[in-house]
Amino acid sequence: MNYHFDWEPIWAHRDLLLSGFVLTVAVSAAALVLAVVLGTLLGTLATAQSRLARIAAATVVETTRNVPLLIHMYFWYIGLAFLRLPPFLCAVLGLAIYSAAYVGEIVRGGIDAVARGQSQAALATGLTRAQSLRLVVYPQALRIIAPSLAGLFSQLIKDSSLASVITVAELSFAASAIESDTFRSFEVYITISAFYIVLVLAASNLVLLLPGAHRSDLTVRVADA
Amino acid sequence: MPDVILRNLPFLLDCLRMTAELAVVSAAGGTVLGLAVATARHLRLPLLSPILRVYIELVRGTPLLVVLFICYFAIPALLGYRATAFGAACLGFILFIGAYIAEDIRAGLASVPQGIVDAGLASGLRPIQVLRLIVLPQGLRRVIPVLFSQYVRLFKFTSVASVIGVREMTGGAMLINAREFAPITILIAIAASYLVICSAISLGGRLLYQRLAVQS
Repeated sequence: MNYHFDWEPIWAHRDLLLSGFVLTVAVSAAALVLAVVLGTLLGTLATAQSRLARIAAATVVETTRNVPLLIHMYFWYIGLAFLRLPPFLCAVLGLAIYSAAYVGEIVRGGIDAVARGQSQAALATGLTRAQSLRLVVYPQALRIIAPSLAGLFSQLIKDSSLASVITVAELSFAASAIESDTFRSFEVYITISAFYIVLVLAASNLVLLLPGAHRSDLTVRVADA
Repeated sequence: MPDVILRNLPFLLDCLRMTAELAVVSAAGGTVLGLAVATARHLRLPLLSPILRVYIELVRGTPLLVVLFICYFAIPALLGYRATAFGAACLGFILFIGAYIAEDIRAGLASVPQGIVDAGLASGLRPIQVLRLIVLPQGLRRVIPVLFSQYVRLFKFTSVASVIGVREMTGGAMLINAREFAPITILIAIAASYLVICSAISLGGRLLYQRLAVQS
């Protein structure tokens, strides 16, 4: 092994890495918000009383998550090229819709895990169906699913690296640019790998700040899928 | 079937074969690696076990794309050899999925009740026999569903290999699109292929689990 380590070129390109890091956080955060909103809708639909709604939700979840993320991104970027959506938006939409299927499954599991008597009692006290969901079921479900959500968030951050393929200049894109400029392949990829690990750790621990979320051995670890 | 797909069907099938090869090699390699790592971690082998834990945490914190870049560019540069895209992709997928499978299998091994292990030891089996005859068969059967969901993930992830130049289904579809320019048709066709194959893998896992589930 006669490889000479040289970290100088990495430091010289720190502004590129930094802007890549910011963009990774931006793509992930935007996709996360959208995925949670869509996923909550899907998960609620999957526990609805109407059989049609449940079948519709299950179909959407199955078709969405059995198609690779890369194809989701290509769909917005290349498939709908005539719309001329900016790459950032394509990445966010692809990532959000793909992840929403997983959020939906988690939310469905969480709602199912809240004792049935809870929503029945809520309805019996005169709350509307929406109020019972918002005030009684969701808060309890959130506590139950917090560890799974943490896993999903870290998965989403890692998945955001695929945005580089559709020319979003996030971390992985910056790494490829620096690599082709300096040929310090090992140093640059190890560096961004460290960036991702820090981000993933931060995300999986941030979820613990959710109201009522409990610290469990699941969430303090690096990422589950 | 739309004309553009029919015209390019032989090429697409060829790409599908590449995808399948990639998936099968990586699934087999990843399972063997995962099983070895899980067993070593389960036995708490001194020295090896902490190192393997670092490997698992590093891989699980790194995006697949970066793992592939490391296997295609960084490791060959470090060790001074030339990597083929296919070889690097296989290595990357095995290292990547192996870390996830290792954790799943380890959880399965840990879920075998202590009473059964004690009973095995009390009946005179050596610890290694207990592992081979009791813990591994029972633990592995419990993780079949999780294992198959990892295989589904892996199959979807093979699409990322197109980024380092492996001509599998997604990469092939993009090549066809460059010539034909019918992006929606082509994307829907390959999305449907992934959908069908992933559903088939899930179904296979469910059937296998029904046959082999631990009766309790």
